[in-house]
Amino acid sequence: MMIDRKFLVGIIVFGSLWGFAECILGSVLRDVNLPAGAIMTGVFAVGLMTLSRTTFARPGMQTGIGLIAGGLRLFNPFGGCFICSAIAIMAEGLLFDLIWTGFSLDKKTTQTLTNQVSLGITSAYLVYVGGYIITQILTPVFSSAGFYLENLVIFIPQILASGLLAALLGVMTIPAVFALKKLHLTIQDRLYYPISIGISAFCWVFVIANTLIILGL
Amino acid sequence: MGKDRLLPILALILLFIASSSSVYVYATQTTTETLEINNQEYTIDQVFSIVRPRISNDSQYTGIALDDLMIKTGVTSPETHAYTLRGADGYEKTVTWENMQNGLLTKNRESIFSDLPKAFRVKDIVTIEVK
Repeated sequence: MMIDRKFLVGIIVFGSLWGFAECILGSVLRDVNLPAGAIMTGVFAVGLMTLSRTTFARPGMQTGIGLIAGGLRLFNPFGGCFICSAIAIMAEGLLFDLIWTGFSLDKKTTQTLTNQVSLGITSAYLVYVGGYIITQILTPVFSSAGFYLENLVIFIPQILASGLLAALLGVMTIPAVFALKKLHLTIQDRLYYPISIGISAFCWVFVIANTLIILGL
Repeated sequence: MGKDRLLPILALILLFIASSSSVYVYATQTTTETLEINNQEYTIDQVFSIVRPRISNDSQYTGIALDDLMIKTGVTSPETHAYTLRGADGYEKTVTWENMQNGLLTKNRESIFSDLPKAFRVKDIVTIEVK
């Protein structure tokens, strides 16, 4: 089986950018008491995943991007529950993939502004709420306390409510990505690999160095 | 019905769910100065006066020992129970006695567990239920 190197490098660079945004910008947003989770999902996660999906148009990519971004988040053990964040990020990638594949959104359906706005609401809301629910299940499962269904059920209204901001941000994010795509910005083939690998390396080195500096190592 | 038409309808349904949930959460949010432990009401000052203090492993947080709190508030055979900590916003987490032995309650009524992820930090605790 031939491995599509361009596709794999795309997964790494988009995942690294998302992970970098979660670790650095997400921490800043939390420090100033802004709803970091909804902002990161509604803007960065949905934005980067839409850009990657519309560029490569291949199912499975966003699951990989989520795994890379969630992996990078584990190297930054600050700002709330970082294990929960990593699980949520990985789940969000998978959910985005499932939503876009389920709705066959790689073709004509995304042409009109109404559909782009609707897609922004649907993707951002379902990805955020789904990621939140999955992390509320998996984090206790992997802890010594264990998972209790009643803890989740009673908190469902709050989770459903907290997705509203992500949905509203998604209204702007997806049309913005489609507007960006109309500019037909492309990278020359010979520059694709150096630029992608350089950006990915910068993201990982910056996050790990930042962690080491904060820990005083 | 084509997906072109289904998508805006689904988006509207999701917005309705999110908005009505927000209204529900706002309407049902509780504010209380007391702490209900094992069906008895206490003020935070009361519990701080009877329970031994505890400092978190990283010395970042100080408060009172959650296991001692259960014993001082009359829980019998504490190791046989599970404990549900519930915040004013409805967020709750259930933990074991072993977790309570590694947990503390801060003056801001937040739970800190040295052996559990930060997801178990319940803020503005209003109830500790013994199960």
